[in-house]
Amino acid sequence: MKRLAAQSDKDIKARRWARRLSMRVKKIVAAHPGADPDNIRHALILLELPPFARLQRSLIRGRAAAIYRK
Amino acid sequence: MAAPLPFTENERRLLRSLLRHEVRFMVVGLSAAAFPGAPVITQDVDLWFEKLGDPEMSRALQEVGAAYVPPSINNPRMLAGTVAELFDIVIRMDGLGKFADEIENCVEIQLGHQKLKVLSLERILASKLAANRAKDQLTIPVLRDTLAAALGAKRQKI
Repeated sequence: MKRLAAQSDKDIKARRWARRLSMRVKKIVAAHPGADPDNIRHALILLELPPFARLQRSLIRGRAAAIYRK
Repeated sequence: MAAPLPFTENERRLLRSLLRHEVRFMVVGLSAAAFPGAPVITQDVDLWFEKLGDPEMSRALQEVGAAYVPPSINNPRMLAGTVAELFDIVIRMDGLGKFADEIENCVEIQLGHQKLKVLSLERILASKLAANRAKDQLTIPVLRDTLAAALGAKRQKI
């Protein structure tokens, strides 16, 4: 029961975070009509991380892409 | 748990050595754009040096087993050595002012006890707009949207 309760708590938090993120994306796109909502969403998610973690993501993706090309 | 660092210990040593020897450089290009949150992909870290072949730069590189290799017919200028594989050299940025002017407005990111200078997102965008190569045209909208997101995030916090 405890585990279920903990899971649902995490679930509620995740849903709340997603709803908040979606509202923030909407507001920004409303202020910048040409902006791509996907870019805004990804940038907002990255902005929640420390700067070096953001670079880490960019480099991991770049390195992974290079591996796939081989 | 601390966030993972994008650099290996050797790569950190190289950056720290350059900073300790007061070599004037900054991170530019898409890796610099990643710092303020641009969702971009890159395979290397571009470093813009004010002066190449400077004795302090040579000393800093030597200390970590790297070296500056001037351009030749077959190769562009580069940093040689396994510690330097991630880094590319830049000596000119399209659409931007002189190094001395641009470094005044760059962003500082803490790297251990030292500060790494990183070109601001606004200036990266200016450079991409001026260069306007096919690959720049793909990233320009992403950089613009990141600026909008950063501005929006700042306003929403207030």
